[in-house]
Amino acid sequence: KTYSQTVSISGRHLSLYEVFNTISKQTGYEFVYDAKLLDSKGAVNINAQGQNLSEVLDKCLNDKALTYSIMDKIIVISPKKAPREVAPAPIAATPVTGTVTDSAGHPLQNVSIQVKGTSRGAMTDASGHFSLDVQPTDVLVISYIGFDKQEVTIGANTNLNIRLAESNKQLGTVVVTALGIKRSEKSITYAAQQVSGVELTKAKDPNLMNTLNGKVAGLTISSSSSGVGGSAKVILRGSKSGLNTNQALYVIDGMPMNNTLTNQPNSSYGGSTAYDGGDPISNMNPEDIESISILKGASAAALYGSQGANGVVLITTKSGKAGRTTISYASGFTLSQAAYKPEFQNSYGVSRTGSTQSWGDKLTTKAHNNLDDFFQTGTNATNAISLAGGTEKTQTYFSYANTSARGIQPTNKLGRNNISFKETGKFLNDKLTAEADVNYITQKIDNTPLSGLYFNPLTGLYLYPRGTDLSQYKSDFEISDASRNGLMVQKWPFHEDVQQNPWWILNRNPNKLNRNRLLLNASLKYEINKYLSIQARGSVDRMNDVYDQKLYADNNSYLAPLNGGYVYQNLTTNQQYGDLLLNFNVPFGKEWRVTGVVGGAIRDLKNSGEKFNSGKEGLHIANVFTLNNFTAMNSVNSGTLPDNHSQYQSVFGSANISFKDWFYVDLTARNDWSSNLAFTPTLSYFYPSVGLNVILSSVTRLPEWVSFAKVRGSYAQVGSSPQTYQSYPARNSLGAEGSIIGNTIAPFTDLKPEKTNSLEFGTEWRFFNNRLSVDATYYKTNTKNQTMLIAASWASYYDYYYINAGNIQNQGVEAVVRYDVFRDSKLTWNTGLNFATNQNRIIELAPGVDDFTLTGASGSNYSSKFRVGGSFGDIYGNVLKKDAQGRIVINSDGAPTKQDGGMVKIGNSNTKFQLGWNNNLGYKHFTLSMLIDGKFGGKVMSVTQSMMDQYGVSKVSGDARDAGGVKINGVDGSGNAVTSIDAQKWYTTIGGREAISGEYMYNATTVRLREVALGYTVPLKDIFIKALKFSLTGRNLIYFYKKAPFDPELTMSTANGLSGVDIFMQPALRSYGLSLNATF
Amino acid sequence: CTKNFEKYNTDNTGISTGQLKPDYNDVGIYLLQAERSIINFSGGGDPNSYQVQQNLNADIFSGYFMSPNPFNGGLNNSNYFMMTGWNGEAMKVGYLNIMSPISKLRANRTDTAYPAVWAVAQIIQIAGMSRVTDIYGPIPYSKAGASKSDIPYDSQEEIYKRFFLELDTATANLQNFINKGETLPFSFANFDMVYSGDFTKWLQFANSLRLRLALHIVKADEATAKAQAEKALNPANGGVITANSGNMAVRVGGSFTNPLVYIDRNWADTRIGADIACYLNGYNDPRISAYLGKSTDKTITSQYIGIRSGAVTGSNIKDDYIGYSALGSAFSLTTPIQIMTAAEVYFLQAEVALRGWANAGGSAQEMYNQGVTTSMNQWNVAIGNYLSDATSTPAAYVDPKFPANDKAAQSAITIKWDDAALFDVKMERLITQKWIAMFPEGQEAWTEHRRTGYPKLFPVAHNQSGGVVKDDEGVRRLPYPQQEYNTNATELKKGISLLGDADNAATRVWWDKK
Repeated sequence: KTYSQTVSISGRHLSLYEVFNTISKQTGYEFVYDAKLLDSKGAVNINAQGQNLSEVLDKCLNDKALTYSIMDKIIVISPKKAPREVAPAPIAATPVTGTVTDSAGHPLQNVSIQVKGTSRGAMTDASGHFSLDVQPTDVLVISYIGFDKQEVTIGANTNLNIRLAESNKQLGTVVVTALGIKRSEKSITYAAQQVSGVELTKAKDPNLMNTLNGKVAGLTISSSSSGVGGSAKVILRGSKSGLNTNQALYVIDGMPMNNTLTNQPNSSYGGSTAYDGGDPISNMNPEDIESISILKGASAAALYGSQGANGVVLITTKSGKAGRTTISYASGFTLSQAAYKPEFQNSYGVSRTGSTQSWGDKLTTKAHNNLDDFFQTGTNATNAISLAGGTEKTQTYFSYANTSARGIQPTNKLGRNNISFKETGKFLNDKLTAEADVNYITQKIDNTPLSGLYFNPLTGLYLYPRGTDLSQYKSDFEISDASRNGLMVQKWPFHEDVQQNPWWILNRNPNKLNRNRLLLNASLKYEINKYLSIQARGSVDRMNDVYDQKLYADNNSYLAPLNGGYVYQNLTTNQQYGDLLLNFNVPFGKEWRVTGVVGGAIRDLKNSGEKFNSGKEGLHIANVFTLNNFTAMNSVNSGTLPDNHSQYQSVFGSANISFKDWFYVDLTARNDWSSNLAFTPTLSYFYPSVGLNVILSSVTRLPEWVSFAKVRGSYAQVGSSPQTYQSYPARNSLGAEGSIIGNTIAPFTDLKPEKTNSLEFGTEWRFFNNRLSVDATYYKTNTKNQTMLIAASWASYYDYYYINAGNIQNQGVEAVVRYDVFRDSKLTWNTGLNFATNQNRIIELAPGVDDFTLTGASGSNYSSKFRVGGSFGDIYGNVLKKDAQGRIVINSDGAPTKQDGGMVKIGNSNTKFQLGWNNNLGYKHFTLSMLIDGKFGGKVMSVTQSMMDQYGVSKVSGDARDAGGVKINGVDGSGNAVTSIDAQKWYTTIGGREAISGEYMYNATTVRLREVALGYTVPLKDIFIKALKFSLTGRNLIYFYKKAPFDPELTMSTANGLSGVDIFMQPALRSYGLSLNATF
Repeated sequence: CTKNFEKYNTDNTGISTGQLKPDYNDVGIYLLQAERSIINFSGGGDPNSYQVQQNLNADIFSGYFMSPNPFNGGLNNSNYFMMTGWNGEAMKVGYLNIMSPISKLRANRTDTAYPAVWAVAQIIQIAGMSRVTDIYGPIPYSKAGASKSDIPYDSQEEIYKRFFLELDTATANLQNFINKGETLPFSFANFDMVYSGDFTKWLQFANSLRLRLALHIVKADEATAKAQAEKALNPANGGVITANSGNMAVRVGGSFTNPLVYIDRNWADTRIGADIACYLNGYNDPRISAYLGKSTDKTITSQYIGIRSGAVTGSNIKDDYIGYSALGSAFSLTTPIQIMTAAEVYFLQAEVALRGWANAGGSAQEMYNQGVTTSMNQWNVAIGNYLSDATSTPAAYVDPKFPANDKAAQSAITIKWDDAALFDVKMERLITQKWIAMFPEGQEAWTEHRRTGYPKLFPVAHNQSGGVVKDDEGVRRLPYPQQEYNTNATELKKGISLLGDADNAATRVWWDKK
């Protein structure tokens, strides 16, 4: 390796620390090392003038049992690789050979193998092989940067297979931080957690974000109920904003990704256009991901500006490596099934002929299980191949992946192809580095399950009167209608908006979402001198979605016109990003150093597209699904879509000041100009952050068993721009037939940007030679000046008006504890606990405003809103009328009644705290990992249960009949106690979609066996295949504790509303998989 | 560089006020929206708004219609379980779809530039907002649109006074325009789905509306009622609607459909009420086939049969009543939406005559007979000897499927005018025939039923109001919407004190009290 930088240093009895510091000053390189490594390494005598960096380093470290590696501008110092030459042979030495791999079975090159207590050792070659002469009593110490050190006793073994576990928290780990800047982990002043790519591919899910669930403290992932291809809601440290997105920002290789929230359901009805459009992150090929680092708080993200206010998920993708050519093949096949099903009563039949309800006589035979005729086994097959390789000058990475999945609802399918190509090259004497990366993704989703009351096959499936075998409607979901000259129409006996023939919906209301996405990244970096480099980057993320839904003739007349309907939408979202960065790294004196960046960025986001919905007007000719066949184009439903064009221009700077190797200060400042602030008094906003970090273990002498100690604190402010058009919504839009619809949202020209103030303190401790580590963080964020849409009195001529107000506070604690139970023998076992709690509180809204609705109450007795003193996601509903003694008031009809005065708060779906317990075991060729996680506290509502009760199909409604009624603590009009009430009277009054939702709140606590993966690495030696690993995986295997009739983690919408309510969502999945990884 | 920011942040699908200027769209389109919202179908095809604005309250309480759909598990407005989620729509439409577009006409100076057009706008506003105050009682009117919050309520008495004053201005402007033979620089017919730009007809409607409003308040303020009625009928002021060609009805077409017919045909959410069916059956009324279709339920013989109000409960399924009479042959999806007819005006004149006020235009009997005849003509049916039928009385209700709902006729009133009868009998006869003639406009029918007690309707079959609404009184108003409690609480509280009693369905509005 040659580096152009030269170093001049001379002196005697210099400490290594001084040497490093001098080199650092002269070259701009930063050193990363465990301070303990330098202990008792002795002094250095050196006289070098204008020598190159590697020569000097070699000289200094030659006799110090230390070695180094250089990544970017960081020099990582680590224990020396033992010399390749075998030391003088001891008596009766036996040769052993072995292979060292990572936990995924990939061979590791240049791993140091050292005989404990000697200087003898070896290094692994490109295929991870080594050989060494040893004695049976010897212990080998295997160490490699970024992995846990392992000791192996030779014994009778002459062929060792050693698997090193990646240490996510190794000292000297380099983390990728804002703008793609790599920094040593110990120097950062905020909480960050890194997850290796392996974690994402261990037990696969069609949406890769779901595989992070339970693994990161403070990260809450709610998967949508939208089947394969569905989105995931990813929230770090609690929801902050009512109207703006609360989801984390995704950054790929330093550049923000377009993660525009796609279409989401927004009412309890669901319906034909309330589909989940799929989140952009889920399109990624998990095999392309090298690692993910999660920057949890605003401080970490301050440099990303508005978008980073909710935390950042930084994704580093794989690149080709110099000198090593590998071909990897990964294949996985997963089977999935419903993890639970609603519970039905099987003994009472239909109320009376023609009735939709099941309050009738006892059945003579047990009711047929209709669900088995409906749900199928879901599958997910993924195949990915990647080629990586290169020279010192150029590196190449190519990958192709195919995902093919089907959901548990018949006809729900996903097909995805990912192609990725990345090339890195060095020019001009290695001073100029050019990198370009192209990703092309096609994705096709068929029949996304639609939650809610309309167009959902589950309503008919669940509510149909018991005792009827529905398979008659499966094979013949349509029949010929003579009055329409043989047109095939729906076969179903009811005209009810909420239930139609499930198989008719699947086959005759098909929807389809096609996505084509091109993601281009390019970067040029030039080293001006040893202190300065300049970098220019650009990216284009262009996503085209075509959605199509056909509604065949003879849907229920509420839902679609007589001749059917057609919805077609074509939307292209285009994000362009560019930045120019000047990186500096300047030492001051012997002990101070300032590194940092100043730069500017521009991000431009624009949608373009059109939507056509035949709406209530419908089609001329039945079942012809073309735009030509629309009876009318009603502008209410159809036409050009808003561009939602936003442009953000920013300048920013950051400085990281370090003193020796134990004191670090971070300062950042950023100013954004946002086009979304047009028409308001100020177009820009400024926000700073400051962070502080002290490595206690380097400052003071701590007991031997304390390996490392650090305290950190930071304060940040992050501004956030409003959404497009909020400041001046269009005053009129076109309605039917050229009519005008006046906007019912008042203009808001004194709009101010939202501000989040965030404070965090954290500390990190490691004990017993890093065997036990604890990392804990307290944070508090206050989000102010929120843009809120407030319901107006209609007499103002508006439905809503915006205000800037509020103070929403999130505070919480996150902690990660890891312990290596065994690491010195064949058996490795590390265990980790992560804990997070977040408390959300609405401290204030605005004078005179104490209410802000996220999801309205239309159509069901569920409403999600903010109220001062409450918290994000409070659920409002109706409750039973009770007397002063808490007894249920029974009216003259013998039925319970609803409390007057509208909806009241009946719970909050937010989890109180989360706990994840992760275990990784390794024994010989086997690895076993297991994740148990629990979400504790919170309440969720089930409208599914409420409707099943009203219809008399639920198990509880049957049990109550068997028991002769429902036991209650009630009182009638004349003051007499009522202890029992007829089951039908009770459930038909409290149940249903518009009844007493307070009776349908459930404890959301859920503890589950989230993930199990058992791996076997096939021992191979010197053959074509370098590594081969098989894994058996399972996800969501066991609910140790679950009280709600559905999985509270599921969400109907990944937007801000509709949280904590189940309205006929597809059940959560349990899956089993088999995967194969091979490296050539 | 931020010079494009305003362009980026402007909704490309929006229509700015400036873009509406060409072709006077900034006058006409707003006016059209208001016209289409009195009975709301301004959204196009979807009649959801109308369903909760009127069909699931006034249309039922007037005895015209009943829903076969057991909404909310059979607990809903139709059996006096008042639905908070439904009962705000009339208010919402009143402000957002009627007053708001009309306020834009004032903002763009239509009031001074084209006073005759502004007069039409005012008339539409009064036609629409009078219905809103008749539903709730006190509402924000004089200060509506003045601020974003804390909008004061006016008492109903004040609102009616204001209506009369505004009608004064509107009629004066119209008369001025007509008398001077002025013209507009644009074709008003393009923007008028009622009278195709005929200002004389607007003037006659304005006077007829004044007459209607005058009689609304006869119980609470007889002096004003008399003065306003006489003013309305004074020929010097331009006259009232005298022929069916002058009926106030809003034309529909294209994406716009008659919302009542839509929910009857396409949703089967509304069916004929037992009351109108029993009166028409009992009177052998020739209008019956125009108004009603015959039942289609396979389990009963084909007949004109309505559903008794409050009969549909949680134990019913929609199929139970879906085959009872739907709307009759006179109705199609393009039937204009009727707000006021010549027949109604004759009946109003009959009442003026009956009360002995001036300008009635004829005797009570003449006006009564004229009203019936005009109605028969309107529906293109032969009147036969209807007016001389002194024996037919309303039929009893016999529910062919659920006998528990059977009920004896509530009235023995006959058709033929009897000048010797007592005032109350004459009033019942007059209002009963007016009620038959006003079909299917349930809002005004409910108002007149509340004011006069006629026609006598079957008591609700099941009363789920929890004792609030009395069977023999029926629903007197709709409670204020939850939205007002949430957004305008302080002023609403004052509004409720103007109402004078609890905010529930049993409290009588100002004109409903003596």
